[in-house]
Amino acid sequence: MNKHSFKLVGVALVAASLAFAGCGSRADTGSSSGGTTGKVATIGVISPLSGDLSALGLGIRNSVDLAIRQANESNAIPGWTLKLSAQDDQATPDVGKNAATKLSSDDTVVGVVGTLNSSVAQTVIPVLASATIVQVSPANTNPTLTQGEDLANPKRPYANYFRTCTTDSVQGPFAAQYLLESGIKNVATIHDKKAYGQGLVEAFTTAFKAGGGTITDAETINPEDKDFSAVVSKVKTTSPEAVYYGGEYPQAGPLSKQMKGAGLNVPLMGGDGIYDPNFIKLGGTDGDLATSVGAPVDSLDSAKAFVSAYSAAGFSEPYAAYGAYAYDAANAIINALKVSLKDATDAKSARQATIDAMASVSFDGATGKVAFDEFGDSTSRVLTVYKVTGGEWKPEKTGELK
Amino acid sequence: MDLVNLFFQQLINGLSLGSLYALIAVGYTVVYGIVQLINFAHGEIFMIGAFGAYATWMVLGQPSDWSAPLSILVLLPVMIIGGIVASVAVALLTERWAYRPLRNAPRLAPLITAIGVSVFLQEFVRLFYGYIPGFPDAKSAIAFPSVPGISGATIQVGGVLIQMSAVFTLAALVVCWVFLWYYVNRTKTGRAMIATSQDPDTARLMGINVDKVIMAAFAVGAGLAAIAGVAHGLRYGNIDFKMGFLAGLKAFTAAVLGGIGNINGAVVGGLVLGVVESLAATYLGASAWKDVWAFVLLILVLVFRPQGLLGAKVVDRA
Amino acid sequence: MRVVIPNELKIRYRYPARALGIAGAVLMVVSILLPWAYAPTALDDMTYYGAPSPLQLFFAILPVLVILLLAIPLVGKARLGKAAKIVAWNTSAKTASIMSLIVAAVAVTAIAIDLGGLINVELGGWLALLGGVIAVAATPFLPDSPEPTLYRVKSPKWLQILGIVILMALLLFGAAYILGFEDADDFLMFAAFVVGVVMVLRQFGVFGWLGIAAAANNRVLVLSAFVVAFAFPFTQNGSDANMSVASQVLIFAATALGLNIVVGLVGLLDLGYIAFLGAGAFTAAILSESAFSTIKWSPPFIVTVLIAGTVSSLLGLLIGAPTLRVSGDYLAIVTLAFGEIFRITMNNLDGNDGPNLTNGSNGIPGIPDLNLFGFDFGKAHVILGIDIGRFANYYWLMLVVIALIIVVFTNLNHSRIGRGWVAIREDELAAEAMGVNTFTLKLLAFAGGAFLAGVAGSVKAHYDVSVTPDQYVFLESAFLLAAVVLGGMGTVMGVLIGATILKLLPEKLRFFADYRLLLFGLLMVVMMRFRPEGIVPDERRQLEFHDADEELAEEVEEDLTSHHAHLNPEVGGFVL
Repeated sequence: MNKHSFKLVGVALVAASLAFAGCGSRADTGSSSGGTTGKVATIGVISPLSGDLSALGLGIRNSVDLAIRQANESNAIPGWTLKLSAQDDQATPDVGKNAATKLSSDDTVVGVVGTLNSSVAQTVIPVLASATIVQVSPANTNPTLTQGEDLANPKRPYANYFRTCTTDSVQGPFAAQYLLESGIKNVATIHDKKAYGQGLVEAFTTAFKAGGGTITDAETINPEDKDFSAVVSKVKTTSPEAVYYGGEYPQAGPLSKQMKGAGLNVPLMGGDGIYDPNFIKLGGTDGDLATSVGAPVDSLDSAKAFVSAYSAAGFSEPYAAYGAYAYDAANAIINALKVSLKDATDAKSARQATIDAMASVSFDGATGKVAFDEFGDSTSRVLTVYKVTGGEWKPEKTGELK
Repeated sequence: MDLVNLFFQQLINGLSLGSLYALIAVGYTVVYGIVQLINFAHGEIFMIGAFGAYATWMVLGQPSDWSAPLSILVLLPVMIIGGIVASVAVALLTERWAYRPLRNAPRLAPLITAIGVSVFLQEFVRLFYGYIPGFPDAKSAIAFPSVPGISGATIQVGGVLIQMSAVFTLAALVVCWVFLWYYVNRTKTGRAMIATSQDPDTARLMGINVDKVIMAAFAVGAGLAAIAGVAHGLRYGNIDFKMGFLAGLKAFTAAVLGGIGNINGAVVGGLVLGVVESLAATYLGASAWKDVWAFVLLILVLVFRPQGLLGAKVVDRA
Repeated sequence: MRVVIPNELKIRYRYPARALGIAGAVLMVVSILLPWAYAPTALDDMTYYGAPSPLQLFFAILPVLVILLLAIPLVGKARLGKAAKIVAWNTSAKTASIMSLIVAAVAVTAIAIDLGGLINVELGGWLALLGGVIAVAATPFLPDSPEPTLYRVKSPKWLQILGIVILMALLLFGAAYILGFEDADDFLMFAAFVVGVVMVLRQFGVFGWLGIAAAANNRVLVLSAFVVAFAFPFTQNGSDANMSVASQVLIFAATALGLNIVVGLVGLLDLGYIAFLGAGAFTAAILSESAFSTIKWSPPFIVTVLIAGTVSSLLGLLIGAPTLRVSGDYLAIVTLAFGEIFRITMNNLDGNDGPNLTNGSNGIPGIPDLNLFGFDFGKAHVILGIDIGRFANYYWLMLVVIALIIVVFTNLNHSRIGRGWVAIREDELAAEAMGVNTFTLKLLAFAGGAFLAGVAGSVKAHYDVSVTPDQYVFLESAFLLAAVVLGGMGTVMGVLIGATILKLLPEKLRFFADYRLLLFGLLMVVMMRFRPEGIVPDERRQLEFHDADEELAEEVEEDLTSHHAHLNPEVGGFVL
């Protein structure tokens, strides 16, 4: 009886493993066409390719793939072929570290695009730093990653780390600037206590107060919350003219809906985390606002080129929120490689030179001008305010943060 | 809005939230009362009810322009029935395939199975819901269809704004409570349930089909959970595959609070928990702690009144 | 479901069946001399004539076993002597055929998927499949062998020790080899092969013998296991990629062992165990020299470990004292709620909604590497000419921690306390009636388990570099529980195997990462339904799950008397 059941389990396990083999579509083999002659340098990607956030992660992988294909086609680095190695971090620090270790023990890896989550970055950066591999994140917004723990006295912790997205310290003040200019002086803030949301609200609050505005109420929610009625009721008693929300669209949409349901008919404003069509599907209503980095896509030639190249490349997933940043991140690395690989004999020895070359990278990317300051942050300060109009995000105002 | 209005507003919020918990908690209590199993996957049955109702709406051709009376009298009941069918079917399948073979196994086995079922159901919906032609991907939240006349509609009572979805939830609870009372006390299956919960062996000797009674208990709990799933969708405007986890945990807390195994207790426990949570979010520090208060309440109940507020028939099965 | 072939048929056709089985196996062996695949990219290049790839060679071992198992009995019972009876020739030949067919099927499937279609499978591949099908069809016509009695054979001590050493060596090289696979297909094929060999040996009776040998030479077994585990980093040639996975497996295993005391020995279902690991990790992070830590006091690590363990066990007492008095079912949910409270609290202690202790969801990054007695864990050391990197350092440290946990575990298991725990698990009321102080013992287990988790957490904090609340969520608790359930509740070996499988498989089979949780949920249900005692069952435990099985009861009873009488006569007396 017992032996029999053991056999059953064994057969079931093997049958299951056969079934896995049957459904395998292997994500790791990023294809990059172009010449197969010459030396090979690999650009890694670390992002969530499976799980909740895989839509964002796959968009990042595909956009980097696109940049690499274009570089190989145009023979951007003579004598070298670029390859992609995409690793899944499942949005968890542990898995991310394994991915980073795997990449750093591959001698052809010269740069890594990733990660999506700041918490994963915290374990990935040290691994890549010890192997002197340049890392460019398209999505980490936590300021401490580039400026160290004491933001008043910034000190760069890792020389190999750069990012193409802007940090919370740029978007928050830009939103404050916009609201003040629109004559709104009383705003309540809510954030989801995550690094992104909290940082956004802190930066917003400082700038808004400095501009003469009043924060009527500061509240927090939990990232998994669905029921915001208590928070909304509290905020409502302070009668704000707008609510500034730090967080992402899965909460922001329902929050906006519940605000209006409870009779708090004021716009909800947020950062690029809510600038997503799903925000409107989940309850975002006309009048709600969001800031996002760069000028609107259809006003920028480089951005239009990216969008059309992406759709022409035939990826099965959309480029999602961070695709353009990832594309720029990959191109930043490629631009640095043009300098560092020129006289290099092998990829590994060019790693330090690549990091050094990053400082002077400057080009027009899909999100606007791409260049890095002394901390490795993007120097881009052009932002756009978008407004929900007729059930769609429409650009409201593009400007530069003063 | 003055402070008195704020208090009453939060009380109403708490009562409607509590009705939601109560509807789910009944499922825990009924099943526990009869088979002494904490059906950990009950939260997922609630989630499946919501997705079932959504599927029904899709099958109906996503009607969004029906008039309010037509929506409330036809669309909503049909969606609820769709949700109930889905929930009850899944609940009965899990009972048949996962729990029944373990009925005489050590206590740990069905609990571990229940966790497995819970994770499996969540993942199943996440991975495969989008494969139904025309259906949205369930990997992130899906916007629940709005029912004209309920979604977004409010009524004003004094300074307090009451959402129609809250009225719906409260009304659903009252109707279900009356139904349950009738079902348990006046029908043959209901009385067989009471008999089985008191002494399964004697019940069997008296000619009661215990398997049927257990299935009935799972089905009743699942049906109520499905109604809660629809109420949840109307209240928050969106549903997702993870929604059953926290809601299930809270509902279990409510069941223990009222006295697990006691149906009236589940209802009272749910309402008390909802109100406590709502008021604590307003008056006890930041609202980020509200879930903590709910669980602290659970632990306090276990220390000082393990039989729950209304007292349970079955307290210990050590 | 199972086709039963009448005995007359088996007797009538036993010689043709044997011949046909051998023919099928020979076909399979020959097939490796032919190419299996059209292009070299599938598996490890199976396109050559007469030059088999390593995986093909491994595969061939199984049919060779089939041939041996079928051919050797032909020499006649008289010449085989005792060997004719004490091992199961026919049954293991049957298993070997089935497993070789499965491995061949895995290979063919992988080739077809990799190269896009069955057209890419070459003659060799088809031949292997055909041979497999023939062997699988023929072997059931052989008469069933009686249960192997190899384990009853008295063998000299040196032979037993040799057996253990060979087993351990195979384990080491197998582990090193299996970790080396980059490609999921290669990994799957090799894994299928390993499972096949293990199942054949088990049928043959070798494992029964090894079990006795291991029981008789317990010290040698444990010692050699640790020597092998210790030697593992040297097989990696300085590569970090696998050491990173290996050290994570050990951290996971150490935590699962702690949970095993609570779940496996005492039978308390703790669904918030990860919170104790998290409490240890946060304590260690806060007391570390990280620039982000909120308390500027950094004691030596030894002190930190003790504080972390104490903090965790205090939390265990806090949560256990009220709930352990009521029914065990409540404990499951209360611990689950506690896990949530822990996560929310760690999120809220950010200076915003509470005092700043944990930096909220940002957590505490930048935790420096450990430095014990001048040994810097962050640096690579060259030992015996091989680079021993950062991960290997932590790997060894975790090995020491695990050794300590195992010592505590086994000593407790065979002590008065351990017997009390098992008594509680089996029947709490009876235990109480017999004078066991159930509440205190349960509380002790709960707090003790929490202490161990705290210790593991304090190492994990330094190993992970950063500690954030989202690393310590319910799913991780569920994974720990799954490791315990899968391996076998209440056993050390089982939990180690369970932890390894659960951590290693997702790492090597990344293409099914999206289905990981689905399969894991299914696994828990299936295990509870068909093999609740796990892969490596605890003898007493097995009885609990199969109390209707008289035969098993006698078997276990017999085992327990001989086994325990040998180890510790006192214990044997207690059990019976």
